[in-house]
Amino acid sequence: PGVPQGSAPVTSLLSLAVTSEQIEHLHRRFKQLSQDQLTIRKENFDSIPDLEFNPIRGKIVHAFFDKRNLRQESDGLAEEINFEDFLTIMSYFRPIEMNMDEEQLDRFRKEKLKFLFHMYDSDHDGKITLQEYRNVVEELLSGNPHLEKESARSIADGAMMEAASICVGQMGPDQVYEGITFEDFLKMWQGIDIETKMHVRFLNVDTIAHCY
Amino acid sequence: LLPVLAALAAGAAEARATSEGQLPGAAAMGTGTPPSPSGTAFEETRLHVFTLDYPHVQIPFEITLWILLASLAKIGFHLYHKLPSIVPESCLLILVGLLLGGIIFGAEEKSPPVMNSDVFFLYLLPPIVLDAGYFMPTRLFFENFGTIFWYAVVGTLWNAIGIGISLYGICQISAFGLTDITLLQNLLFGSLISAVDPVAVLAVFENIHVNEQLYILVFGESLLNDAITVVLYNLFKSFCQMRTIKVIDIFAGIANFFIVGIGGVLIGILLGFVAAFTTRFTHKIRVIEPLFVFLYSYLSYITAEMFHLSGIMAITACAMTMNKYVEENVSQKSYTTIKYFMKMLSSVSETLIFIFMGVSTVGKNHEWNWAFVSFTLLFCLIWRALGVFVLTQIINVFRTIPLTFKDQFIIAYGGLRGAICFSLVFLLPPAVFPRKKLFITAVIVVIFFTVFIQGITIRPLVEFLDVKRSNKKQPAVSEEIYNRFFDHVKTGIEDVCGHWGHNFWRDKFKKFDNKYLRRLLIRENQPKSSIVSLYKKLEIKHAIEMAESGMISKVPSSVSLSDYHEGKIKPLSPTEMENMREILTKNLYQIRHRTMSYNRHSLAADASEKQAKEILIRRRHSLRESLRKTNSLSRERPVLAVCGVFW
Repeated sequence: PGVPQGSAPVTSLLSLAVTSEQIEHLHRRFKQLSQDQLTIRKENFDSIPDLEFNPIRGKIVHAFFDKRNLRQESDGLAEEINFEDFLTIMSYFRPIEMNMDEEQLDRFRKEKLKFLFHMYDSDHDGKITLQEYRNVVEELLSGNPHLEKESARSIADGAMMEAASICVGQMGPDQVYEGITFEDFLKMWQGIDIETKMHVRFLNVDTIAHCY
Repeated sequence: LLPVLAALAAGAAEARATSEGQLPGAAAMGTGTPPSPSGTAFEETRLHVFTLDYPHVQIPFEITLWILLASLAKIGFHLYHKLPSIVPESCLLILVGLLLGGIIFGAEEKSPPVMNSDVFFLYLLPPIVLDAGYFMPTRLFFENFGTIFWYAVVGTLWNAIGIGISLYGICQISAFGLTDITLLQNLLFGSLISAVDPVAVLAVFENIHVNEQLYILVFGESLLNDAITVVLYNLFKSFCQMRTIKVIDIFAGIANFFIVGIGGVLIGILLGFVAAFTTRFTHKIRVIEPLFVFLYSYLSYITAEMFHLSGIMAITACAMTMNKYVEENVSQKSYTTIKYFMKMLSSVSETLIFIFMGVSTVGKNHEWNWAFVSFTLLFCLIWRALGVFVLTQIINVFRTIPLTFKDQFIIAYGGLRGAICFSLVFLLPPAVFPRKKLFITAVIVVIFFTVFIQGITIRPLVEFLDVKRSNKKQPAVSEEIYNRFFDHVKTGIEDVCGHWGHNFWRDKFKKFDNKYLRRLLIRENQPKSSIVSLYKKLEIKHAIEMAESGMISKVPSSVSLSDYHEGKIKPLSPTEMENMREILTKNLYQIRHRTMSYNRHSLAADASEKQAKEILIRRRHSLRESLRKTNSLSRERPVLAVCGVFW
């Protein structure tokens, strides 16, 4: 259990210069999280103290087990992940290298945005519907107990409309906007250079943060 | 009439003669003679129907004329549409100054008044730095803080010592006639000429719109290097005057650097907090709120100057601190006032500085020496380029986004010198520096080169190198949501891999901020989500715009709209809720309506649609600065519920 189906977990993205030092650091962290087991389950993530305060905690943990992110063809959630899967997820947060060419950069960017897209699209149907979007906004604002649910809903609705006007342009009065597809999602993130922002430095070798 | 004119001319000339070496208009009070229609006891003069008393008003009159001239010159430039895009304003202003200086020189056969360094440092420089610090994108600044600090401190040190030593090498060559300039004098000269100038950087970078990252690196460097410039300048100046130099003095210099830098920042932060605290209680007298902002920031500057700490860093720190908290305490109108007044002051200051630089150039303060001047210029360029290159190689190891060669080139090329080194060179004591005029000439040549040549060519270079430009997009709620979502994802992943990244520290600071600082400094502490506040702001803008363009028949008389303006937040009554709901529903209809109007409606509707869009764009533009918030969420006190049922 836990061995991925297509066992070629080291993908093109990963092969881009993850140094052995960084792999060692991540491995140590993995062992800490899994309490020296070979695989991690969802419950293991409860042991990270700072993650508790994160409003979208559920989605982040979910993303680790999402089979679409683990590069398997199938759908749904994995029960547990091993170290290679862990590395695969971490590889989405690689910083860009200086020697990447245009095509690589573009692929890089798409991979990262796909990761984010999967976090929005919880029912795995390839589209972010209004309900899913409302879900996201509610979770984001969940840290604020006195904010009414209605406001979160209306904010989500407003954002969805903006998305509609960007992606579809003018709509007829009876047209219904189905949901944000991945192409639309790409369009919305066009101005923001995600490749430079979506990275985590794996430089620090000492694991500073403790687990319970 | 002729005797009156003669008297006027004589009075003016006399006033000029006494104000040699000072600002025109800064002449000592009392050079003017009191009007004499009363006459002496023995002469009886007839009653004068019309008198002219110039000396009485001379100082304010001349100051006003200078400022007026500067502003008229600015209008003149912008009349010709293409001119400001080719030539930065700073160049044109210096040219005007040169012209003026030439006229004064020609008319009176003596050197025109030179810019008084005190006036520059105490009055002209603070508004510019305040303006820059207040509107600085803090998040980007702190993300790049390491790099900025590295360039500012080590880079300036590198430049200063490099230029000083190589110039000393040149001076040793007896053919140039410079052998009397000692090593220490050269080092001092190197230290004052290596400082990148914030005024010049702002003036030039303003028009070329490079991406924010690059801009913040160059501009941040120009602000932070003030600390080290102050230290080096004072250090070498004292060394020049001391007989012997002991090792202890060098250590004192290093310690001085830390005190200057950290002391300046602490003063700024402290006064920023005091300002925020003061504005907490100003809700009854809104009219003087802007005054506090300006007074406290200026106070931080001159307090730092009093202790010979870095005034620029103090005022920057004060402005950045104030920005966060004061904005929430003051009314909307005060906020607008602060913004506009700040911009106006800094614009006037900048214009005056450049004009005076031009005026002060003309005159007899020069000594030309081909070797010294040309080698100074050469070394400035070489050492800057080398410095940026070497330092970047080192700092790239620690950065996640390495700086490319293009970036490095722009950073090196953007190292402009300006009024600060100009003033510093005038402050050199001539007793210790017999060759002061030579230094002045060299500094002027370097400044002119950087401002003119580099200033004019940087824009075509940026386009040629295809440097990434800043994208001025309008804020959208969805974008804010994405950004916030993304921040949390990144923080979460950092937590998972146990890494303390930038986000970790920022999170910790935000928690501390929410728990203690905001409670203390902000009057009605509502935990704010940037998403909600952006959304509210946009919706209010829509509603206002609709009301203004007359599309809403009845404007709610209840206090809801104006209360949002005022920043007062209180629970809405049901009728108010109803009103807002109505506005927003109608609003929604208008939005959809607008997107449909392109191809179906007549010209008239198009015009109004464009007008509404224009208002929207302008409003969004003007509020863009204030929407750069990264306030976090908090669980504390109740927040106003936004009514807004869309459908």
